[in-house]
Amino acid sequence: MATDQHSQGNRRPHFHRGRRGNERRGDRRPQAPAAAEPARTDGIDVDQIVREIKARIAQRHGIDLSASQIQELAARRLEAILDPRGIKPSLLEQLRKSAGTPAQIAPVEPPAGYDFEDHTIYDSHNGLLRGIRKLLNPLLKLFFNPNPIAHALNTQAKLNKEAAKREQERERTQAEWNALHYTLVERLVTELSRTSIEAQSLAMKVEALSTRVDFYERRVRGLENTAQPAQTAAPAPAYAPVPSARPSGGGDNGATEATGDGARRRRRRRRGRRGPGAPDGSGAAIAGTAAMQQIPGDDEGDDGQMGDADGPDENGMEPVPAFAAAPDAPAEPPPPASVPQVVSEPQVPAAPAAEPVADRGPTGTPEGS
Amino acid sequence: MKLAVVVQRYGSDIGGGSELHARYVAEHLAAHADVRVLTTCARDYVTWRNEYPPGEERVNGIAVERFPVARQHDTRDFARRSSFVFEHRHSLEDEFSWLDSQGPVSPGLLARVERAGGEFDFVVAFSLRYHTAYHAARLSPGRAVLVPTTERDPALGLAILGPALRAARAVMYNSPEERATLEAVAATRDVPGVTVGIGSDVPPATDAGRARHRFGLANPFIVYVGRIDANKGCEDLFDYFTRFCARTERLLDLVLIGTPALTIPDHPRIRHLGYVSDVDKFDVIAGAEALVMPSPFESLSMVALEAWALGRPVLANGRCDVLAGQCQRSNAGLYYMNGREFEAMLEALLDDEAVSSRMGENGRAFYAANYAWPVIEQKYLSMFDRLTSEKPRASIEPRPPGWFARRRRRLPPAAAVVAALPTGPVRDRPESSSRPS
Repeated sequence: MATDQHSQGNRRPHFHRGRRGNERRGDRRPQAPAAAEPARTDGIDVDQIVREIKARIAQRHGIDLSASQIQELAARRLEAILDPRGIKPSLLEQLRKSAGTPAQIAPVEPPAGYDFEDHTIYDSHNGLLRGIRKLLNPLLKLFFNPNPIAHALNTQAKLNKEAAKREQERERTQAEWNALHYTLVERLVTELSRTSIEAQSLAMKVEALSTRVDFYERRVRGLENTAQPAQTAAPAPAYAPVPSARPSGGGDNGATEATGDGARRRRRRRRGRRGPGAPDGSGAAIAGTAAMQQIPGDDEGDDGQMGDADGPDENGMEPVPAFAAAPDAPAEPPPPASVPQVVSEPQVPAAPAAEPVADRGPTGTPEGS
Repeated sequence: MKLAVVVQRYGSDIGGGSELHARYVAEHLAAHADVRVLTTCARDYVTWRNEYPPGEERVNGIAVERFPVARQHDTRDFARRSSFVFEHRHSLEDEFSWLDSQGPVSPGLLARVERAGGEFDFVVAFSLRYHTAYHAARLSPGRAVLVPTTERDPALGLAILGPALRAARAVMYNSPEERATLEAVAATRDVPGVTVGIGSDVPPATDAGRARHRFGLANPFIVYVGRIDANKGCEDLFDYFTRFCARTERLLDLVLIGTPALTIPDHPRIRHLGYVSDVDKFDVIAGAEALVMPSPFESLSMVALEAWALGRPVLANGRCDVLAGQCQRSNAGLYYMNGREFEAMLEALLDDEAVSSRMGENGRAFYAANYAWPVIEQKYLSMFDRLTSEKPRASIEPRPPGWFARRRRRLPPAAAVVAALPTGPVRDRPESSSRPS
């Protein structure tokens, strides 16, 4: 139980309390059906709020795991790779311990009597006996020569010492290699886990972006399909008058351009794409509505996540303006009931059919971006 | 009615979780019954060193009998035994050795409980994982009322705890999550039980402006109250909060109240007030945008309840089933699982003042309905009445006979037992539910 701020200095460690995630957690408790839950009359459902926020985060960022969670995941993957059933648990534990710590190999002590010199065969703890042996040594040499035997044993003793030293060195190197291999494998698995999570996250992002692309394609098709009949049906004089000799750079050129207001130029600059057959805003208005009707449910751009912000979103994409009226819409005169809604500035002369003000919303809001 | 409260440590200067819980319960039940506390001479739970004099004294008007602890706590021995019983197949004897190593071993206290016989109507034993509570429950068949105060740690998976829980006359749980866990691990469904928890002495009125002025809290802030420790999730909290500050221009401070056990980051938005009086603490909480509770291990968070009592929402660590469950049942707080969720939940609380204040109101109602002292006292008294009118159940299950049987290592690792238990907050059981026996 948590209490308040009282000090518990020198706190006893909680053994194994650090186990987190699935490692320490069993199945989720079965939750009661919604009907069994207490009635919520306060208008706030924390669970619902949390779920919505989590869904938003998942939509925006994909999978999000902390460093410790990735470590846990990697540890489980590593255990799966090492397969404790096939490896001695003590060996695995030894590897874990040896990783990151210097190898501690006890020096091999040669057993007593490993040294063998020329006089060794005559050695004795009894001084008298040692003296008698020395006295009888010439007699012994009458029967055979012990010197080659002593020499061979001496050499063998030296070889044994060197072998023990080499073995010790080999064990130390092997332990270091084992530790290095274990560390390498562990880090590789961690990196692999991190990479696979990132790949999964990126795949989700790609999927989200492709959904958006699909949406825009359908929307463009809808606009195109709907704009063509509108172009043929609408009378030419009702179209928005656009300057006939306007330079492509949009500079002020001539009296008519001089009288054109800044808002119009702003809209032209923001216009992203011209529909091939949509000569004015009326067609676009209908097209916009038709597009909405044509692809119900395709509202990824209007969910408050990707298209509602003023600036580019986290993917670097410009926001998608809503179909609703733009802020400057009320300033424009309402269109006649019998005439398609027109985006026009009265002082601007008539425009050729080649320069339509296309892709506008019902009130002149640019559709493309 | 005469009650004995058995607890491993007791004193007005002891602020530990279950010890404070025991003292509050003893002091509040004293208005309804003759309460006597049986405890040890230990003050420090790390060493169990005898610091209080043995004998009888009165603490805040409650009679307290103290008995010496036979031996001090050996941390290394306890670590070794914990590692063994939590991670390896082991025997009953290993578990009893673990319990002895946990302590505090006080033969005098246990002899007193055994001698008491019919002196007390009920023996209320706190914290099952300690030697005192476990043996007091075994020595008081038919009278033991257990307040287990368990967290979801590997000790819950020890096989010796089951018989003690099942032999209790009643179990007073801290939360529905604790109850669900113990029912799953120790099959205590047939033992009368009620989810009680604990109240707090929250003042009727607070002055947030005074605290702001006193501590120079000019910006909006969230507050953490408690020991500033990695075990309490504070490292993650600092990490999440500093990242939140880096990503937003929002003026928001993190105010910390409590004693630090880790280094607090030197960040202009993190304010450490240290140890403050209860009055200041409540004033600061009242002035906070929310109370943040990052601990992943809680059997019950008293400061979260205090924040709710003061009408402030709580932002809790969703890894703690108890906290997440309380947030869900109260509709008075949000919970997070990682840094991004922390930021998003915090922004949700800060952005929508209506929702935030509504959560605060929900918290106030939740506290009043479940954790106000009259409610807590009534739950205890109702349980005592019920137990008085009912016949005691079967006596405690005997230990397995035979020297070899107790030493046969066939029990699964306790950590594995706990890992297999169901997790998650409990939503289908109200805070005050009790089950008929």
